[in-house]
Amino acid sequence: MAAQLLNGQGFKEVYNFKGGMNSWHGLTATGPVELSLDLIRGEETPTEMIEIAFGLEGALQKFYLTVGETVTDQSTADLLKKLAAIEEKHQQMLLKEYDQLTETPAHLANQLPEILEGGFRFSEFLSQNRSVMQTISGVLDLALMLETQALDLYLRFALKTKEVSTKSVLYTLADQEKAHLASLGELAETQTSSSPLL
Amino acid sequence: MFWKRLFATVPSLEADEIRDFFARHREGTYDLIDVRQPGEYEKGHLPGARLIPLPELANVLDQLDRDKPIIVY
Repeated sequence: MAAQLLNGQGFKEVYNFKGGMNSWHGLTATGPVELSLDLIRGEETPTEMIEIAFGLEGALQKFYLTVGETVTDQSTADLLKKLAAIEEKHQQMLLKEYDQLTETPAHLANQLPEILEGGFRFSEFLSQNRSVMQTISGVLDLALMLETQALDLYLRFALKTKEVSTKSVLYTLADQEKAHLASLGELAETQTSSSPLL
Repeated sequence: MFWKRLFATVPSLEADEIRDFFARHREGTYDLIDVRQPGEYEKGHLPGARLIPLPELANVLDQLDRDKPIIVY
């Protein structure tokens, strides 16, 4: 019905998702529209937005490393290191983008927020999830959930953001999260026999 | 004629095709609209979907880009 309405109103390329969420077994984001939206004002410049993302990625990296310190299973510990390294790599990409936008050398490193990528509070999330992160599948499930929430959050940031150039930074961030999800999905497939996710 | 447009069939995409669409399109080049109620959205939505409950859709058409591909569910 909605698709027909749009089609009748001059929208050029409308698709109806047949079956909707009931038929969707891939990655799913949860929570209300406003979830963690208070992390931004909506008026950030591109560099301010990169700083925010840099902090969120850094906090997630620290999270993986912190959990890794107490994990006894060696292959799970290795996976957590790998995940932390992915976040670090993403931070390096952000630094490059930052440097392209400004003359001032990036000074982003020392300001880790209490909020993880995806919008979760560090200490709370750690105490809630430490126990499920002792196995490879537990870690992968959680990582997939976090990255999915991150993708959703960056896109909700984009909706709240007024500045077109900042929106475009957020779309790039979202594309990078999509790429993370694809590689995590491949990793998960080698560990389990799950189907494609996104 | 108006009625032709009204009853014109809109192409449907199944879950697999949606997944494919996401893989082939960059973010920002298409819109994804969730027309269900807020409670349903909250329980689970496609990452990046924009919530516009069906009763409100007609009122916000001007905020949407008519030239971008748009997926609704």
